[in-house]
Amino acid sequence: MNKLIVIINSKEQILDLNDYCDGIIIGLNKFSVNLPITFSLTEINNIIEICNQNKKQIFITLNKNIHNSDLKELKNTLIELSTKKIDGIIFYDIAIVNLNKDLNLNLNLIWHQEHLVTNYNTINYWHEKGVKTSYLSSELTLEEILEIRNNTNSKLMMNVFGYIPMFTSKRPLVKNYLESFKLEDDSKINYLEKENNIYPITYTDVTTVYSSKILNLVREYPLFIEKKIDYLVLNSFNIDNEKFKKILILFNKTNENNSKENFDKINMLLDYKIDTGFLYKETVYKVKKND
Amino acid sequence: MIKKKNKPELLAPAGDMERLKIALLYGADAVYVGGDLFSLRANAINFSIEELKQAVEFAHNLSKKIYVTVNISLHNRESDMIIDYLKELDKIKIDAIIVSDPYIIKLAKLNTKLPIHLSTQQSTLNYEAIKFFKDEGISRVVLARETTKEDIQLIKDKVNIELECFIHGAMCASYSGRCVLSNFLTARDSNRGGCSQICRWDFKLLNEKHQNIQGTKDFTFCTKDLSLLKYIPDLIEMGVESFKIEGRMRSTYYIATIVNIYRKAIDEYFANPKNYKYNLEYEKILRNCANRDSVPQFFNGDYGATCQYYNGRIEISNQDFLGIVLDYDDKTNLAIIEQRNYFKTGDEVEIFGPNISTISLKIKEILDEDNNIIEVVRHPKQIVKIKVNDKLYKYDMIRIKKIIK
Repeated sequence: MNKLIVIINSKEQILDLNDYCDGIIIGLNKFSVNLPITFSLTEINNIIEICNQNKKQIFITLNKNIHNSDLKELKNTLIELSTKKIDGIIFYDIAIVNLNKDLNLNLNLIWHQEHLVTNYNTINYWHEKGVKTSYLSSELTLEEILEIRNNTNSKLMMNVFGYIPMFTSKRPLVKNYLESFKLEDDSKINYLEKENNIYPITYTDVTTVYSSKILNLVREYPLFIEKKIDYLVLNSFNIDNEKFKKILILFNKTNENNSKENFDKINMLLDYKIDTGFLYKETVYKVKKND
Repeated sequence: MIKKKNKPELLAPAGDMERLKIALLYGADAVYVGGDLFSLRANAINFSIEELKQAVEFAHNLSKKIYVTVNISLHNRESDMIIDYLKELDKIKIDAIIVSDPYIIKLAKLNTKLPIHLSTQQSTLNYEAIKFFKDEGISRVVLARETTKEDIQLIKDKVNIELECFIHGAMCASYSGRCVLSNFLTARDSNRGGCSQICRWDFKLLNEKHQNIQGTKDFTFCTKDLSLLKYIPDLIEMGVESFKIEGRMRSTYYIATIVNIYRKAIDEYFANPKNYKYNLEYEKILRNCANRDSVPQFFNGDYGATCQYYNGRIEISNQDFLGIVLDYDDKTNLAIIEQRNYFKTGDEVEIFGPNISTISLKIKEILDEDNNIIEVVRHPKQIVKIKVNDKLYKYDMIRIKKIIK
């Protein structure tokens, strides 16, 4: 049975969306990147309790690139989380795999090297290593996703709605720009503009740049259910809370008969550029001479 | 007393056979190249298996090494094709493969005897991740560009594995592997070698109300180049095994110059570590060669405003490189030169090469192929002769002599 999972942007959203999703993804301060919000470990413990009481799944994403200086705290964090009732740790850095093994923590790990989760053979490699779920890259075509589904026993997680992170850097790029030209700005979120496209750019421990268009895969949602993609993720980053709730409800009610109608409804709600990502758009990598 | 360490490998990029030969002749101990398949510089010329075979022969005759990058992020169809390719590389005696996908590590271990290096594409920054990959069979790690001097030292202390560090060249603005700007903005897959360098594009920066925040230049992601010339002694003392130069798409002149300078710096330190002195002239040559500023970047823990580059997209191609020596006549002392950039009689030039000390001279006379005296050499690849009293060798290069501030 597939699950609708939400990347939340506030603690309040958990209860607000409780009736319409099966679980949430949350981040931990200093260890999670490319998210609308992160929490302290104390807050996370509290959120775990809320989710446990409401019988919702909870995934903690620890997806930053780990530096040596992070290792001690990471180790303690993993040990603490291993004592909690959580559904999985979403990881980027392979240090987490090694610590889970060496410390016998038995955490349920989810491979999410963001843009590198692109084929079933590597997903199966991680499955053999005990990583039973993979969170697919957003740069895959529909055909590739279905091929992966047909060739792995791993559980699969994938994004179906929201802005998609497409760049992660340790450098504080907006701050560097402001400093270089002696400018001042205290925006919580900035944007980059190029050829009428607007890309959100944020900084919390890392600089993240998001896609200019909002991914909306509600039309394909019934197919993902049929093909048993296990976890379908909606990201609330930079989306108005009321609208996000309505969108989540629409996803929840989507079936083969109304998926096109719901696609249009979501587009109307957002009044912003929407697309289907790379689902029907294969990227090239060997450029012809005259390209 | 300075404890003498093993001499590190100087590792250079090679986008094609000419650059491979130049890199090795100018002092690289090893080169890394991309094959036709599965390499992250899909738009470099790259090497077929037959060319790789020739490259291996050339390198091994000089007792040097060839590494092949197999570091794309595999999609389904590529992942089903890779075994045969790995077996081919093994058969032609490639010295190591550079990979990022752990599935390739598994396949290479099962099907070949190839040593395996972990690509910087994995952005490996910590010793726990390295322990994992070492257990998987990796013999060397190309560290993430974000590692500091302290990080490298700690990793060296904690894990017995070869380390390869970038010492010179362009930097990704992102963590390697975590940028798909190219995919979204140009539909070219950066993690499969199609990177279209969006980081060098100009953007308008807006505030949260979508108002323009405009400096005197536009926003870019672009950073200055990396140069660790000043830290060569530190890296040697830390025991880093391989010093890597970035740039499979760079010119022969760039490769020759950068390799030549680092070769000298490494050799000079090794010959006399106690009295080694940093050579400012080398720094000037490096700076001039790339036409871009370079800084130590993360090695010093610096990734602030001074590391950024806001010069827009205009980069002047290097015009210092005047020509390459094709031959030298011992009887007449005439060097046969193939032109690369405009030069003329009276120009002050320098000639450098792997087998000579750098020569400074003023060009007194230029002859064309028929021995007629000419004043200027303006045609690309024009063959001319100039008199040079010191013996020159094929592949020596001529550059304009600049008084660099």
